[in-house]
Amino acid sequence: MTPFSAPIPGANYTSETKNYPWHRPPDIVSFDDGVEYLMQKLAEQESTELTFSLLQMDIPITSVCNILLRQLVTKGKFGIDLAILLAGPLARYIEIIANDSGIKHEMGVDDKARIAITPTVLKMSMGIIDEDEDEAQVIEAAPEEESAGLMAPPSAEEPVTQAASATQDEMLGLMENEEEEQV
Amino acid sequence: MKFEDAVKKSIKKYLKGNIPEETDETTEGGIYYTPDYFDAMEASLKEQSSQE
Repeated sequence: MTPFSAPIPGANYTSETKNYPWHRPPDIVSFDDGVEYLMQKLAEQESTELTFSLLQMDIPITSVCNILLRQLVTKGKFGIDLAILLAGPLARYIEIIANDSGIKHEMGVDDKARIAITPTVLKMSMGIIDEDEDEAQVIEAAPEEESAGLMAPPSAEEPVTQAASATQDEMLGLMENEEEEQV
Repeated sequence: MKFEDAVKKSIKKYLKGNIPEETDETTEGGIYYTPDYFDAMEASLKEQSSQE
């Protein structure tokens, strides 16, 4: 950004301040109200399906909480501070309902247990990757090219031989001088 | 600190039994949804499922 393309001081006062939900005061400011809202939200069929699907894809509960809370912060339900405080009860509640429904889950609090979410992992867990695609992804080792240049190192098969001294003189142009001298 | 790191740290502390102290003090009657509340909830759910 060049100095002239930056906003001028006071430019923020010229735009509407309530453009985004997070510009306005959040809907919920109390801890208990927040937990209650999250529990009601998770009781909705769509939210339950989404949460359980994510857990079945081996996505840890911490990541599920992260997704849900981020969504609600952008909608203006909570402030960021309250969202962070609500993460604990939300994770515990998800753990309880997952246990109750017999869904295998992982809390993901330990860094070692964390599985990085990559497009490949997501595809594999969703069963999108075909066998052909798997084979295509295997990187074949590049065949060794034979070196044939003048400056190429000698191959193991051809032993290095030293030219005879007469040949070496000829290569250095010493022989011509001798011939010229004789003439 | 990133948002996801803060979330993870918050979960870790809550699972250890810690509650947000300042919030607890400022809330009238203290926080209702404590770790104990969820323990009791889990126990009652287990009891219900074993009865079924």
